[in-house]
Amino acid sequence: MFELDQRIAEQLTEVALSSSVQVRCGNSNAFMVTASTMVPLMQMFEMGGVYISGSRSAMEMIEAFETIGIDVSNIQFIDLVSSGVLGGTTTTRKNIHYVDSPIMLESILLRSLYLLRTTTLERNFVILDSVNALAIYNDDRMLAEYLHTFINTFRQREVLSVILNVPDQTPPLVLSNLDLYCTDLIDRGQVVIH
Amino acid sequence: MQPAAVYTRDRCITGIHGLDEILRGGIPYGSTVLASGTCGSGKTTLAMEFLVRGAIAGEACAHFTATEPSVKLLENIRQFEFFDMNMVDTGLINVFDMDVLYSWLGLEKSSFDLDDVHALIKAIVDIVNTIGVTRLVIDSVTTLCYKIKSEQLIRDFLFTLGKKLSTLGCTTILISEITSATENAHWSSFGVEEAIADGIVVMGDVERMGHLLRFLQVVKMRGTSHSRAKHAIELTPIGVMLTPMLKWGAQGDTKSRWGA
Repeated sequence: MFELDQRIAEQLTEVALSSSVQVRCGNSNAFMVTASTMVPLMQMFEMGGVYISGSRSAMEMIEAFETIGIDVSNIQFIDLVSSGVLGGTTTTRKNIHYVDSPIMLESILLRSLYLLRTTTLERNFVILDSVNALAIYNDDRMLAEYLHTFINTFRQREVLSVILNVPDQTPPLVLSNLDLYCTDLIDRGQVVIH
Repeated sequence: MQPAAVYTRDRCITGIHGLDEILRGGIPYGSTVLASGTCGSGKTTLAMEFLVRGAIAGEACAHFTATEPSVKLLENIRQFEFFDMNMVDTGLINVFDMDVLYSWLGLEKSSFDLDDVHALIKAIVDIVNTIGVTRLVIDSVTTLCYKIKSEQLIRDFLFTLGKKLSTLGCTTILISEITSATENAHWSSFGVEEAIADGIVVMGDVERMGHLLRFLQVVKMRGTSHSRAKHAIELTPIGVMLTPMLKWGAQGDTKSRWGA
């Protein structure tokens, strides 16, 4: 049976809506940490929102969540991966929205704002998965500038932003900026496999 | 001693997400604004949303279309959630085909002289006056001006039209098509429209690693302070949305460009 990290839920009880949480994970525990963050937000705090899927396709993420029994049908997914694969954007799921490429940073922000404007829920989050996926395509300075804008945009609108990253795959400039901008840190990044 | 009150012109609130913020409250009432852009940059959608937001507020609006038939224009715009066909059916948004207008006026010819231009101005102004239009779009002034062969006549046409519409309290968006891709380009097709207009909004694309990002930039707007920064735009089902373009990404791959 899939086990969630309960300490993440405990940590999240301390977090305000206008917070921005940096969630550090490792390569091997990325999905467990993501699910452990998302489930309490949805089930304990009755939040909805936007999941920006940059590491894997939205469809793959949804299926992974469904496999462990999490219903994500009311979460809107912005898929940054599938447009890079011909035929990848064929889906009947209404909660998947496509952006052409991870380099269209402003489009990702605007699409998130649009989806948040269409939601009826009072409390929302936006989960960015992940900084290191965006770092593959974007210049360090531009990515640092983007995260600054991204975090402040949602903080101003009282939307909880959750930024996932694998620290050892994130450029140092971006990482240090994240430490500065984010109000909270959930650190599950030090996973050492011998 | 009390400081003198600062005079602020009344604004036509566009209702477009982010644009009123850039314009510090909206377009000054009665202005003639040139919306210049490359193909596919979102000019028609922006202009139509400007009319829809006005219609929602109960204003009478008019759209003169010269680039595509009104039926096609409405079919294309119906995909947006912000548009409601009832606004056309109930006469809040009035769409006119320029070809039909030319036919009414007996102007089915390849080029216009001074009398033709005056007849056209009179027809547009009469329509605006009769319906009580407060928001007007001409799409596009480029197509219309192709029939006017002299620069002086184009200048007179736009200046007179702008002046008369302003007197009637009508805020106008003139759509202009530009093709140039360099930063030294004019913001209009004939080079005279930009001098006449009270405001210039430029729309185009920034190329970033093979992808085109739409942008909007307010270059000039008389009667208001405003941001002159480049803003990224997205055409969403609920309308145009804007956000400041990333400074490290505003230049594109090579240098600043108005189009692809």
